[in-house]
Amino acid sequence: MTHVACASGVELLMDFIEGVLPADVSSALEAHVAGCARCAAFVASYQATPRILRNATEVTLPPDIEASLKTFLRARIDTR
Amino acid sequence: MVVPAAESSDETLAALAAAGDSSAFEVIVHRYQARVFRLACRLTSDTDAPDVLQETFLQVYRHLPSFRGESQFGTWLYRIATNAALMHRRATARRPAESLEAFLPRFDADGTHAATPAELQVASRADELLDRQTLAGKARAVIARLPDAYRDAFVLRDLEDMPTAQVAQVLGIEPAAVRQRVHRARLMLRGYLSDLLGVRP
Repeated sequence: MTHVACASGVELLMDFIEGVLPADVSSALEAHVAGCARCAAFVASYQATPRILRNATEVTLPPDIEASLKTFLRARIDTR
Repeated sequence: MVVPAAESSDETLAALAAAGDSSAFEVIVHRYQARVFRLACRLTSDTDAPDVLQETFLQVYRHLPSFRGESQFGTWLYRIATNAALMHRRATARRPAESLEAFLPRFDADGTHAATPAELQVASRADELLDRQTLAGKARAVIARLPDAYRDAFVLRDLEDMPTAQVAQVLGIEPAAVRQRVHRARLMLRGYLSDLLGVRP
């Protein structure tokens, strides 16, 4: 049985989520997290981080930048 | 002559555009411009993104004749956009490196998390607890502080939601390296969000 502590478990998280861990390591990690309130809390915030930053960095293309792109491309590309 | 429609597949449009049909190229630009702009903002900055956007589509146009469909058109275009952003970043003045190591999780001597569950959880509520504008500004700034290799992998994998294998292809590294870099980035950013909320990571 693989022993997992919080510190070694943290290092396995990405591979766990991506499903590339060997089955025994994966179940040892799951068993640890199930019995560790600290790790459960850590995993929740680790998984929330990409979503929070994805939403926070959403941008829309400003109309003036879209217009400049069009002008730029028309000037450099043959139109037939 | 086929009239390119908004519903035409990328591959059809690419073939028409490569044969000189400029309206097909315009449909491609229209389809991808917002995504390329967003990617450019995430990999460079709001100031540099318009240049990256222009450079990307110029390169796409020039390289269309060599698009052979070995990868999906979107992947191919993303690779060009990523390269344009990375080239642009290399050509502009570098910010001084600022370490984010302080935001990595802390453990006791026996390998147990040093923080309490409530402290460990708090980062997941950053979007509820912080004002939207503030969080947007802080998010842009901290992503720019990541070491470049982590930033690129994190932006493509986690912000652009690209599968790991595809990120590996775009960046020219092994999938295991992508996972390792994204992991490090997530740890640092997670700790940074905690810190923003006044909690040690």
